[in-house]
Formats: sequence, C-alpha cells, structure tokens
Amino acid sequence: MIKNFLQFFAGRILADETVKPLAQIEFLKDFLSKHKYVYSADFEENLNILKRKHLVDSFLVTNMDGSIVVSSEGNGHSEGIVGTAMLSYIKSELPDSESVLIKRNGHWFMLFPLNKKVFIVKAGSELSNLELRALAIEMDSLLLMNKTQTEKRRVPQMA
Amino acid sequence: MGRVIAIASGKGGTGKTTVTANLGIALAKLGQKVLLIDADVAMANLSLILGMQSSPITLHDVLLGEAQVHDAVYDGPEGVRFIPSGLSLDNYKRVDSERLTSVVSQLTDQYDFILLDVAAGIEKNVLSALSSSQETIMVTMPTSPAIADALKTKIVAQRLGSKVIGVIINFVMNEKGEITKNDIANMLELPIYGSVPYDPEVRKSFMQEKVAPVIVRKPDCPAAQEITKIASRITGLKTSDAPSAKKVGFLEKFFSFFKIKGAK
Repeated sequence: MIKNFLQFFAGRILADETVKPLAQIEFLKDFLSKHKYVYSADFEENLNILKRKHLVDSFLVTNMDGSIVVSSEGNGHSEGIVGTAMLSYIKSELPDSESVLIKRNGHWFMLFPLNKKVFIVKAGSELSNLELRALAIEMDSLLLMNKTQTEKRRVPQMA
Repeated sequence: MGRVIAIASGKGGTGKTTVTANLGIALAKLGQKVLLIDADVAMANLSLILGMQSSPITLHDVLLGEAQVHDAVYDGPEGVRFIPSGLSLDNYKRVDSERLTSVVSQLTDQYDFILLDVAAGIEKNVLSALSSSQETIMVTMPTSPAIADALKTKIVAQRLGSKVIGVIINFVMNEKGEITKNDIANMLELPIYGSVPYDPEVRKSFMQEKVAPVIVRKPDCPAAQEITKIASRITGLKTSDAPSAKKVGFLEKFFSFFKIKGAK
C-alpha cells in the first residue's frame, strides 16, 4: 500500500512536467477577436458584418415582385428579377419547397423566401435551410432596426 | 415555456453526453421537470449512459414522421424523461434532422428544462440541434484543442441564434499544464458554470451489471457533487439551497484522492 502511495505521489505531484501552453492561449484569444460581430448604427457596415458572420459572399433582398429591398453589393437588379421569377415558378410547381439551391461556376446561389421577401444569397459553399433561415431572420431584423432609426432621424417638413 | 438548452462542445470525447445525463438528473432532483433528448442522431449513446437502451420508438421514428413525439418519451432515473435516438445506421441516413425544431417546439410548454445532447462537430445534425435551442452550454476540457473547438461551436451557435450562456469544464485534474478556469473564461468570453473533476467513479458507472449515471450510483463522489452545484447555478438557486450531499471528512477525501482501497 505504501509503495502504491509513493508511486502515485511521485507520478502525480513530483513528476508533473506539464506546462501551460501560453502561445496557444494567445492564439485562441486572437482567433476569437477576429470573430466578433457587433452591430453599429451604420447600416452599410452591418451588412458587411452579416456577410462575415454567415460566411457568404453577397446577398440581395427583394420583394416578391423582384424589386430590391437591399443589396450587400449595391446592385443586383437583374439578379433580383430572375431570382424571384425562378422561385415563383418553382413554388408554383412544388408548393411545399422551402429553398432553391443552384451551383454555377463554383458558386452557390440560394433563394429563400421569408416574411414576403426573397433572400438571394451567393456563397462558396451551400448553406442548409437552417443557416439560410438564420441569415434571413437576422437580415430582416436589421432591416427593421434600420427602418426604425431612419424614422427617428426624419425631421418633420415645414409647410 | 421551458428552457431549451443545447449541450455542445465541438470536440468529441469531452464528456458532453455524460454531463447531459447527470445534469438532467441533478435538475430533476432539484424539483425541475426535465426532458433529455439525444440529438446525436448519428452516434446516439445517451440511452446507454442512462441504462435505457431498449426503447422501441426513438427520435429517428419521430423525425421520419413514423411516430408521434409523445410515443418516444420514456421515464428515466429520478423522474427525468428521455427521448432516445435510434442506433440504426439505415434510419440515420433517412432522417431529416431539420425537423428537430418542430419536434422540440411541441414539448417546450410541458417541461422546465429540455436538454439536447448535441453531437461533436459542426455538421447538419449539430446545426439542427443548435438552432432548436434557445440557449447553449459548452462542455470543454482544460486543453487547447478542446477549447479551440468550443470556440468554433460558440460562433456557430450564435450564428444560428442560440445564446451561449456558459461553460462546463470537464475532466479537470489540476495539473500544472492545464488551462485554468480564468483563462477559459477569458478565451471563450463566457461564465464558467463549474469545473467537474476527473473522477474514476464516472467511468466505473459504465462498468456495472445495471448501468446508471454516476449521480444516481455515487451521488457523493466529487464529479456528482460538482454537477449538482452546476444544476443549482443553471436554475438560479444558490448552491446552499440545493439538497446537500453527505459531508466527506478530510481523511476520506485524502484516501480517495490517492485511491487507497479500504480507507473507509
């Protein structure tokens, strides 16, 4: 019993040659600092944060008629019309379809309808429905936040 | 409305299934209505840890639309309830894990806590479990690879709209080279719910004729006691409000630390 005790004591206490990996701790702290997504009052900046957070190249939000609500790249009129037309056609043929994914020239184009809007997302790899939904919900709340801020800033016009 | 909490880690082998089972039972012992769901549809083993491997209807059947969710709920230890996942690989390939969200939403008003045992990695079934939960607790070990994976899982959970509320550090051995509780809190920018010590009793719980989680088999062992404290913190109870475990004397602690048999 004493032999066991001494062996355990030596192994556990005296021969603990482990050292805290400080360089790795710093590396991981740095990793997290690059993945912080805090929204500001600047809507354009928030669109970029949303792109980085959801790992997508660009996105476009349109109304169901194809008119643009917002675009992360500042354009996309034709993509909006083609995307919503394509989604309308697929929905007419397959009413219970949830999203449309197209792979073209190494990129994925994804169409996701939510709250009477169509979210058209371009990314290097496909997003699942869950990820598309999370992106759309967050984008939708950003749009709402921006609308509220814009209304607050609006000065009443003098007659 | 109950709280739906995903127990995730990113890395495999951190003990999240064991923590989920024991934490669920600890919450039930505190008087909470608890449902455990084995959301690891590919590598389901929560039923084995609970000693409830023979469950004819599983989450697979529910996700396939072949059974109602209430038919897959079983009575577990200490009043906890449990939805197992199936062990069948065929069914795993057929299930649509994205349906988990609607399954969970049917149950939230019947329980105080629904704990989802999430698979390792960040594949589709992990995303489903994280997006089905309102909150996520990370289980990690005091080593850099486990913390790196926990970091990534935290980022993914936040992207999916699940609030990451804290960390449980598992397998703590208090070696010099272990990353400390404070360092982990700083790195993950999350509160630490507790540090569960490495405890041979946890492993021994799988090596019994009738398998039962350590909190049932040895409620006074250090790991079980720490999990009880974590459960109190999650419910918002003070630790002193939790049912106290048997007092362990200095000599008993001393001998159990050095694993000397016949010390009692």
